[in-house]
Order: sequence, then structure tokens, then C-alpha cells
Amino acid sequence: MAATLCTKLLRNQGWAPLIQSVRHGSKAVTRHRKPLHIIKQKLLAVTQYIPPPRVVPPGAYPAENKCVQEDAGLSLILKKDLKKVFEESKMVAVVQKNGSNAEDMMILKHRLCKHGIKVKFFPNQVTRSFLSDSVYCNMAPLFIGPTVLFVSKEPKVKEMLSALRASPQMTLLGACIDNTLLSAQGVVSYSKLPSVTVVQGELVSGLTMLTSRTASMLQHHPARLSALLRQYVKQQSPDDGAEAAPKAEAAT
Amino acid sequence: MALCNMMSVVRAAVGGLAGLCRAHGHQRAPLQSCLKTCAAGLKTYPVTPDYSDVLLPEKPKLKFLNKVPNLKKAKKEHKKLRDIQGPAKLANSFTSGQYAIVAMGGGYLHWGHLEMIRLTINRKIDARTTFARWRINAPYKPITRKGLGQRMGGGKGAIDHYVTPVRYGRLVVEVGGKVELGEVEHILTEVAKKLPFPAKVVSRESLEEMQRNQKEMEENNQNPWTFERIAHGNMMGIRRVLSPFDLHNNGRFTGKFHLPGRV
Repeated sequence: MAATLCTKLLRNQGWAPLIQSVRHGSKAVTRHRKPLHIIKQKLLAVTQYIPPPRVVPPGAYPAENKCVQEDAGLSLILKKDLKKVFEESKMVAVVQKNGSNAEDMMILKHRLCKHGIKVKFFPNQVTRSFLSDSVYCNMAPLFIGPTVLFVSKEPKVKEMLSALRASPQMTLLGACIDNTLLSAQGVVSYSKLPSVTVVQGELVSGLTMLTSRTASMLQHHPARLSALLRQYVKQQSPDDGAEAAPKAEAAT
Repeated sequence: MALCNMMSVVRAAVGGLAGLCRAHGHQRAPLQSCLKTCAAGLKTYPVTPDYSDVLLPEKPKLKFLNKVPNLKKAKKEHKKLRDIQGPAKLANSFTSGQYAIVAMGGGYLHWGHLEMIRLTINRKIDARTTFARWRINAPYKPITRKGLGQRMGGGKGAIDHYVTPVRYGRLVVEVGGKVELGEVEHILTEVAKKLPFPAKVVSRESLEEMQRNQKEMEENNQNPWTFERIAHGNMMGIRRVLSPFDLHNNGRFTGKFHLPGRV
């Protein structure tokens, strides 16, 4: 090997190196990662990529441009149904059903149907997206978990509560009666209110109480009226004395 | 007489049933189950993509590549390892396909690799909907080997086999047609794992994203000291430990390896 090397070099008739090193390092392209010179290592460490400073850690706030997915098909139909339901009905109650069978549901439905209350099922996602657009946005936190809607045209709360009391798994979460949001306790107190006619009657009677009483008093026998007035004067006499007596006599 | 009786009985029964139905009409009419557990969300089915403008070529499968090029006289070549070094200038972007395998390092592909790629892809793709294309040449670089147990010297060895050099960023195979990435990904990853260099399955969009990310990193790098600046200015006499190759590639490559995260 050395002979061939020497002959080749001598043949060139040029310069023959005096010292030939047999040991040589690996080539530039190796199968393994060549160990880098320490200064090159330092250079690579100094010139590392530094990302721009983040004010907010990622994931702390929700994404700015949340792509609002357009509802397609079934969700549009369900939203139309929901809108119709909210427009038609005066009472919309949200009830959570936990572990009730089809049998129990059927009995409940039957009881409610007798009073004209319908039971509606809608997926929560659709209801929430519908509510966020409409006026009833504050009802959104009610729709969590397995919920059912009880809707009716007339606010028949007492019957609904009695039906719900019979089935222990159904929990009333809240209701929107006559465009007013009510909690569960609110619904109970609403049921205890007297009906509108009764309240109106009470109001009218309260307003006309004075006039009706005077009218009834004047219709009594005159002897009774005079006796009443004399008693009134006697009551007044320790307070006023002579002023009250001539006034009372002027009245009779 | 018996028939008339039967008919009347049947009619009565039907009438009775109808009466029952009318009484409980609000329950029987929709024939639904009373208990409907609605899922919280609603499954939306995205529209399938339109492939009407995709043209499938006549021969959709990968063609056979020769082990040895057709030369009259085969010449021995220098090792020339610089054909592995650095990033690829040729064949680093898509032509006709949608998805491809891109090399994330340098290496040599020999006939065995090419056969493996060809057979796997031809076997697994559906020729009616997908097509595949080579983006590398048949092996043309001769690799010499000396016989077993030979001592050093006695000239260069004989040509043993041929290889194709592949650089970082070169596309190896391209796949396209009326398919989505998910249908083709598992085939391409199977192939990519068996290649002698690290490889990745990309689509047109993901390749663009990779290039865009690299540019963004270069632009918003907060470090005032960059490899390029120091190397080009020969600061601290650093050219003593750097090669001209490092000057071109700004420290992103070492030999055949690509260093990720470097700017």
C-alpha cells in the first residue's frame, strides 16, 4: 500500500509531503452526529431562536375570532320550533328529569295533557344558541343536563306543581311565565297567588269600601243613625267639647 | 250469514279501536316513545368535498424503476457526499398531487427502498380514485464496494449498486386524486417510517404552513444575534470553526441532518 502511494506521488514529479498523517477525522457528512467544536456549540447556543414575549399565556382567554358555525338543516328546524313554542305559550317551565322511565313519563304526560300542558324535548346546544339570539338570554344557565320543557298557553302552575310532586325524579329548575323569569321558589309563590279576577275584585272592593259603607249606613233606620252620631259626639267630647256638639247637631 | 256476522264484528272492533285512539289522540297520534333523551349537542355532517375538477391520469400506479441505469459503460464516481448535504433546491414543491412524503433529512435511497415504496403504495391505493407519482429519479449514482476481507489499497472497488441521493425538503412520492388526507395518511406514514432518513407526510396546505412558520420565526426572532450575522461578519474569528456550507445554510444543517428550531 505504501509502495503504491509512494510511486504515485513520485510519478507526479511535484512536491512530496514530508509528513503524511495516517490518522484523519471523519468526513463532513457522517451517519452519526459529528461532535461540534466547542466554539460552534457556543455560537449555536447564543444564536437560538427567542420567540416574541407573550403577554397572556395561551389558553387563558377564549379565541378572539371564534368561528360561528352556521346551523344547518336539523338545528334550523328545531330553532323554528322553539321560536314558535316561545311565541305561543305563556308559560315555559324547565324541568330536569333524572332517571325516569318511559312509563313514568307517559303518566306525567297524560296528567299534564289534561290541563293542556305539553312536554317538549330539545337538544341543549340548539336551545342555548337560540336563546343567546333572542330576548330570553337569561334563561341559558337553566339548560344544563337532561332538561325537558313544559309549555302551555295558560299559566296553570298549580296543576303542574301537583303533577311534579307525584314524580320525585323531576326537579323544577325555573320558568318563564308571562315574560318574567321565575326560579323554583318563585313558581311556588306564583302558584299561591290568587287568580286575577279575585285580585281585581279585592281591589275594586277596597277602593269602593268608603262609599259603600256610607251608603249602607245611610240606609239604616234614622233612630239608629242618630244614636250612632250621639255616641260619636260623646267620644269626641273629651277631646274637643263645645265645637264637636254643635257640628254633630248641624249634621242631624 | 256467518260472513256478514264476521264483517260486523270486525267493523265494531275497528270502530272501538278508533274511538280509543280519538280519546287518547294526543298520545297515540305521534307514535313516538314518551321518553326521549336528547343529546346535549347536535351532530352536523359536513358537506363532502367536490372532486369534479380532479383529473386522474391513465396509469395511476407508481411505475417500476430500474435497479441499474441503462449505460453503455458504467463509470465509477467519487463519493461526493455533498449531494446529501443541505436543503433541496429541486422537487421540493407539489406538482400534480395533493399529499406527499417529504424528506426531513438527507440520505440515499437504493432499489430495495424504491421497491418497498412502489409495492406498498400500489397495493394499498384504490386505482379508481387515487394516483401516485415518483418525485425522485431511478438510482443513478454508483456506489462501489471492495470484496470481503480485502486490505486497503489496490484501487477503487467495483460498482456494487446504484442509489438516489435525497436532500432535506425533497418530495419522494406524491399522491393525489379524489381522496382526503385521512384516507391516504396511514399508507404514506407506513412508507415514511421505513425510509432511511426521517420523513413526514404532508399535504399542500401543511407544507405551506411549515414554510410560513419558518419565515415567521425568522421575522419575529427577538434575539439580536443571529447565526447569519455572526458568520457573515466573521465575528470572533468564528470562520475558523465554520465551513462554507455553514455560511450558506446559517447553521440549520449539520452534515446530512437538519436541526429543527433554528433560524
